[in-house]
Amino acid sequence: MKLGKIAWRNIRRNTRRSILSMSAVGIAAMTFVFMFSMIEGMKQDVAYNLHTFVTGEVRIQHGEFEKYKHLNPLHLGIERYTELTERLDSMEEVDMISPRIKFPTAIYKEGSTYNAQGQGVDFEREAEYQALEQYIVKGDMPRNGENEVLVADGLAKEMNLNLGDNFTLLTQTRGRGMNAITFKITGLTHYDFDGLNSSFFQAPLDRVQYFLRMDESVSEILIKLNSNYSAETFASRLDTTLTEWNRPELIARMWKDISQTYSFVVMADAIYFIIALMFFLLGSTVIINTMMMTIYERRKEIGTISAMGMTGPEVVRLFFLEAFYIAAIGSCAGVLIGIGITYPTTIYGLNFGAAMEGVDMEISQSLKPVLNLKSTVFVFLYSTFIASIASFIPSRKSAKVKPVEALRAI
Amino acid sequence: MNYTQKKMLLLVGLLAAVSMLSTLPLFALTAEEVIERLEANQVHETARSEGRMIITDRFGEKVTTFKSWAEGDEKSLIEFTSRQERGQKILRREDEIYLYFPDAAEVIRLQGAALRDSVLGSDMSYEDMTGGKGLLESYNAEMLGKETVDGEECYKIELHAKGRGVPYPKEIMWVDTEMFVNRKVHMFSLSDKLLKEMRMEDYTTQKGKTFPVRFIIEDKMKSNSSTEFVIESIEIGIDIPSSLFSLEELTW
Amino acid sequence: MKFIVNLAFKNLFRHKRRTLITSIAIAVGLALFILIDSMLVGIEEDSTRNLVLYETGSARIMDTQFWEEHQNLPLSHSIENPQPLLQNLDAAGIKAAPRTVFSGELIMKKDPYPEDGSIQARITAVDPVRDPEVFRIAESVSKGRFLKEDRLEVVLGAWLAEDIGAEVGYPLTIVTRTKGGFFQTIDVDIVGLANTPNPVVNRTGIFMPLETADYYLQMEGSVTQIDTNLPYQGKINEQTDKIRSTALKNRPELIVVDWKTLGKDFVALAATKSASSKVILFLVFIIAAVGISNTMLMSVYERVREIGMLRALGMRRHEIRLAFLIEAGGIGLIGASAGVLIGALLNIPLVNTGIDYSALMRDADMGYRITGIMRGLWSVRTILTAFFTGVFLSVLTAFIPTRKALRMHITDALRFQ
Repeated sequence: MKLGKIAWRNIRRNTRRSILSMSAVGIAAMTFVFMFSMIEGMKQDVAYNLHTFVTGEVRIQHGEFEKYKHLNPLHLGIERYTELTERLDSMEEVDMISPRIKFPTAIYKEGSTYNAQGQGVDFEREAEYQALEQYIVKGDMPRNGENEVLVADGLAKEMNLNLGDNFTLLTQTRGRGMNAITFKITGLTHYDFDGLNSSFFQAPLDRVQYFLRMDESVSEILIKLNSNYSAETFASRLDTTLTEWNRPELIARMWKDISQTYSFVVMADAIYFIIALMFFLLGSTVIINTMMMTIYERRKEIGTISAMGMTGPEVVRLFFLEAFYIAAIGSCAGVLIGIGITYPTTIYGLNFGAAMEGVDMEISQSLKPVLNLKSTVFVFLYSTFIASIASFIPSRKSAKVKPVEALRAI
Repeated sequence: MNYTQKKMLLLVGLLAAVSMLSTLPLFALTAEEVIERLEANQVHETARSEGRMIITDRFGEKVTTFKSWAEGDEKSLIEFTSRQERGQKILRREDEIYLYFPDAAEVIRLQGAALRDSVLGSDMSYEDMTGGKGLLESYNAEMLGKETVDGEECYKIELHAKGRGVPYPKEIMWVDTEMFVNRKVHMFSLSDKLLKEMRMEDYTTQKGKTFPVRFIIEDKMKSNSSTEFVIESIEIGIDIPSSLFSLEELTW
Repeated sequence: MKFIVNLAFKNLFRHKRRTLITSIAIAVGLALFILIDSMLVGIEEDSTRNLVLYETGSARIMDTQFWEEHQNLPLSHSIENPQPLLQNLDAAGIKAAPRTVFSGELIMKKDPYPEDGSIQARITAVDPVRDPEVFRIAESVSKGRFLKEDRLEVVLGAWLAEDIGAEVGYPLTIVTRTKGGFFQTIDVDIVGLANTPNPVVNRTGIFMPLETADYYLQMEGSVTQIDTNLPYQGKINEQTDKIRSTALKNRPELIVVDWKTLGKDFVALAATKSASSKVILFLVFIIAAVGISNTMLMSVYERVREIGMLRALGMRRHEIRLAFLIEAGGIGLIGASAGVLIGALLNIPLVNTGIDYSALMRDADMGYRITGIMRGLWSVRTILTAFFTGVFLSVLTAFIPTRKALRMHITDALRFQ
């Protein structure tokens, strides 16, 4: 007697029971898929924002800059930066480059000053690097070479300024002197995180270099890599290559090695992990419970076939197989449905809008889940595994019961 | 009066006269008087000068050159001529400071807390540039005696702030006894810690006034932080149109 | 009627295992629902909490002029004579702590620091007795100790200490200006380092005793602000109104600003604010509901033959239905009570101590040690919802198969598999 066949027949014999069990496993699997895709989406979102706005995947900076960063040491910059960008452009791992100068400044407007974070960027490159299109809500990108500026709308609102208005900013220059310059607002951007949106503006790199007396230097170069390349290996390779290029004073670091920002990622990871764990616990409990009930329900059946000569181990194996099939089918169906539900959200995103107000943690308000190996294949394997094992203990227990007693159960 | 009585009177009178003569030097100058003479030297009706400022901090040395015009101690205009700051101007009228930058469309007025910022990263703040009131209005002066500074004899005077309104609650000045110029000034915090030292190195005399043309301010709280002013040329008492110290002139 | 109730009751205890398994399913589902909700809401509250408990307080009383120029911290616009205000707040049951915040420069000298240096800083002078009622800085001191009044000492944020190379016991000189504008220097010793869940405090926090600051800054009893701690329940506007009407009656020059407005300047905090928590809870609810209904369905289907038998014995349909529903309700009640109890019991440590997840994070390479504690939050609404949903769902999911069994022919029912 092939146990497998019997198992199958049993399953088909009692449709109601089988469906109930399968649906328990399936629904649990489905929610797992959605949950993990969402988490993955959040993680990628954080990473994307860090790569775009803060550190890139790999960042080149003067070795001493970090040490004095609270003084904004513009003189510890990357000299003759175009030499580097030329070489980087030709490297196959490199997808996009963003040379930048970050400078804190005071914006002077009719007797009040507003603290702001300024950033000098090459707009021809930035259009792609930051995917500026999606952030510009009004007006246009500034042109390189002009005294034009792109302002976050939160900052513009605070200063009571709009498109076409001028503002004057006052900053410390590279030589620790002072300079002031007037810019015209040609575009407004909107960012979902308050901290950025209420203090940020961007101006053409060449004008910033002029006004800060930077000559041909920049304070950092951010790099985004093509998809198959690891940031870690590239960063360490680049670090040595920089010395070969006769730039021993510069260092290249991957984004995870840049302290403050990564701590957020790490914290988020830990929290997601705990939530996922609890989720798993619940889902597994449901699956286990269902399977157990099924076994107990069929004690009489077990008694019958034991009386007919099936050995204990065989009984266990039989029920195990049944459970396994149910689990496999249930979780397969669950995962597929889960993918079906999740897939459209990966394209259109989930809009959290108002729930995210006031948060500044580099998570955009519209979240796109990401289907990946973990949220699909792993969920399938885990659900099947748990459900199968869940049948083990109760079926073992039942197999030990004397047939006579088992038969007596109603 | 007989001959002996007359002689006695003459002797007493002579003695008195002699003793008075010998006590004259003891009544020399009070602290206030020294300061008055010091300030007489410092304040000019008009002055035009050219010079440079050398700022030293933890990252190194930086030189800035400038031209300046002053009227009394209430109005002054500084225009920077070094490459990095070319065209930048600072206008001071009484207690107001205005900054002009060639690339800015508006003149920036510094007020309140902004005055405490340092000028071009030096050890002098905008606030230090203001305050035309005489020292005696804000401080009580106490003569501590005499001390030698750089080989020259100086009056050592301690100043204590009368009320609020000045940044340094206590200062000690060494004023050259002959030239009535400062050779050294110490500025203290309220807890009596030495914050800054100003040393004058070179002097010039014009139209009967002697004043320093080279002085160094050193921040005693940090190592390697000092600002040196060198006045390369200066003319006082020349004609300077008052309109030079106007906002319109600033933007020109 | 009594007979039916009795029957239901007896059935409950007759099949202990069935009752047990079903109730456990309900209990586990509800307990986890309560806990996950508590945790998620706790996490959401965390970024708020981090701001409120370590930086802003719930609301702050300041001089109107001070608030307008707060970027410059103008000591000349402080709150004069804060004592009566504090008394009024105490009387109204509002926890309040006076503070003076001022800007200055920290000077470090080569020995014992790695090298000479100075940084611009904001120093917060606190009342060591009242401050812990509003803020949690005191309990976050990881090395050394918190402040004692009137001493020349400071507590630094742990990351700041790392940045400048400071240890407990090192000296610092603060160069600042008094209220009247005089330059002032304060020589202090570092007596403690604070490692809080709030990175801003860790990175920039410098705390000193209020009396010391009062003396050295010539504040003459005035302070720059009074920070309050209000309970979370209740709208923030109501609460600031309460402050306005109790404490600020005769002080037109003062204003109250709530934490949301205060927080705009600051980069709000880390941890994760999972806005997706609603989605997560929904998913949790689905799983829990599936667990309950599935188990219930199974257990009733198991007894179709029993129903058939009862009918054969003459019991009427509606009597049977009632009995079974009451039994289901009974199971639901047992399960829900157990679930709510377990959930609540486990929630107590979750809320008070929380889960320390810093162990889960790599820290050595990052340099900064991060404290991460996830705390839960009590929600009576969630607990009640869980309870009633549990019972209701049990009854509902028992209803369907019962109805089906009652509709069958008695003989079919008796033969049911």
